[in-house]
Amino acid sequence: MNLAIPTPGIRRRSVTGLWLRHAVSFVRYWKFVITWVLIEPVIILVAVGFGVGKLIDGVEGAPSYAEFVAPGLIMGNAMFHALFETSWNAYNRIDNDVYETALTTPITITEITMGDILWAVTRSIMTVVGTAIVAALFGWLNHWEAIGIIIPAIMVGITFGALGFLFSAVAPHTTFLTLVFTLVASPMFFFSGSFFPISILPDWVEPIAWFMPLTSAVHIARGFALGSLDITHLWAALYMIALTAIIWPAAIFLLRRRLIK
Amino acid sequence: MTNESQLNRAATLNPDGSVIKADEIRKIYGDIAAVDGISFTVEPGETYGLLGPNGAGKTTTMRMLSGLSPTNSGAITVSGIDVVKDNRAVREVMGVVTQHDGLDNGLTVFQNLFLHGFLAGLSRKDSKNRAHEVLEFFGLRDRSKSNVYELSGGMKRRLAIARSMMTSPKVIVMDEPSTGLDPQSRNRVWEELAVLKDAGVTVLLSTHYMEEATILCDRLSIMDHGKILDEGTPDQMIERHAPKEVTQLRVSPVSIRTVRAYLTEHNITFREVGALISVTGANGDRPDLSGLKDLEGVRTSYRAGNLEDVFLAITGRELRDG
Repeated sequence: MNLAIPTPGIRRRSVTGLWLRHAVSFVRYWKFVITWVLIEPVIILVAVGFGVGKLIDGVEGAPSYAEFVAPGLIMGNAMFHALFETSWNAYNRIDNDVYETALTTPITITEITMGDILWAVTRSIMTVVGTAIVAALFGWLNHWEAIGIIIPAIMVGITFGALGFLFSAVAPHTTFLTLVFTLVASPMFFFSGSFFPISILPDWVEPIAWFMPLTSAVHIARGFALGSLDITHLWAALYMIALTAIIWPAAIFLLRRRLIK
Repeated sequence: MTNESQLNRAATLNPDGSVIKADEIRKIYGDIAAVDGISFTVEPGETYGLLGPNGAGKTTTMRMLSGLSPTNSGAITVSGIDVVKDNRAVREVMGVVTQHDGLDNGLTVFQNLFLHGFLAGLSRKDSKNRAHEVLEFFGLRDRSKSNVYELSGGMKRRLAIARSMMTSPKVIVMDEPSTGLDPQSRNRVWEELAVLKDAGVTVLLSTHYMEEATILCDRLSIMDHGKILDEGTPDQMIERHAPKEVTQLRVSPVSIRTVRAYLTEHNITFREVGALISVTGANGDRPDLSGLKDLEGVRTSYRAGNLEDVFLAITGRELRDG
């Protein structure tokens, strides 16, 4: 009997098994989760698009403020979902020994991050697709290329899914996790070009804004939404990939240090 | 059950015929050796216990054996698998009950089992069927749809044990299977472990309950400060280290001073826990307590030596001191 499966390499069942766990749990609580996936982003979309948009004549490169802001809000919201999954939810899974139990099956730390990040991507896609359909119904997504927003949705799920682990893996208690929002989510939500073009920021702030990965995601999403893709969107995508190539291994390292004693 | 089906239930063996073999394993945290070079083997179908107080290194030992924690040195073989080299493969064949139940509060009882089985590699259909079987066996069928946080402590523990049975493992490690349970739930867990034993499952468990070790274990090791101090069957251990008989005096407060003075005066060693004084005579003979006969509020009884006495004799400490 050959029981020895090689330790290196990825065991696919580990990833699908964890993903299924999250999906089952999600379905159990869908009535609550749906408020966050769909209702909240739509409220923000309506407030900013119909409300703030009325006060603003137009933004460079976009026919209306609503059309400018829609892809930005959609990406910002996707970021919240991915981050929340792997910071707050993953912290609870650490704290309640859910990963500890999972590790009694033939799963590795790398596969745990893969399963969770795959779920973060799933959540990101769900909220992006849901909100984008509503935005399209309002007439704020008009180009056929807008379907491509799914691509930055996936990228946001991966990058911010990995980023969330940097917090949950080292958090001593849940209060620590508020840092995810004060240090990462809020600054990015407001300074990554969702609400206004980064070019109007002071010169010294602009590079800082470009450093934030959400800026790249918003830039790409807007390229698809307005049908104005060019080479800069490729650079933005490569930047996100490069950043993820640093963050993800760091997340695995920290989670291993936390769980394997 | 025929011999053949019993054979089918047996675990794959190590080259030396054992199921679990730990050889000089060591785990160091900082400058403290949590496990300090211990060796033992568990034979097929055996229930083997690690008995010791909290902090003795039992949990760390079990985590190393089940591939959850790397060793600093030493060799571990489980069902022919080199655990140090391939910690993933050992988790394919071994059931593990961790110290904290590790149940998933986001899921129902059934989902906890089903998803664990699926993660472990069963097909969805097999995992569902097995979850139903296991729920039936552990008497949890009517709680199938409950949230796990609604369960009592005893039910949670049994669910955690049930979960480790999802893949029908032939070898299980259990970290303190009945710690924190009320006596009734504990008995229930013990009954279920007895059924597993009858089915030929090899069990390694840790405990700091003398009674649990006596009832469940074929053989056991006494651990303290990361080391194994002695090993044997419960009877062997008692014969080796414990007095045949211990005299117990239940003393009321009015007489306690008199009794202490008498014992000290006659050079009789004793230990006092609460209202109970335990006395062991020299060479296992009953000590001469004739002088206490007429004293008011002293009741004398005799009990056989037990693992508690063994632990005291070997370590100089009470097991319950932790």
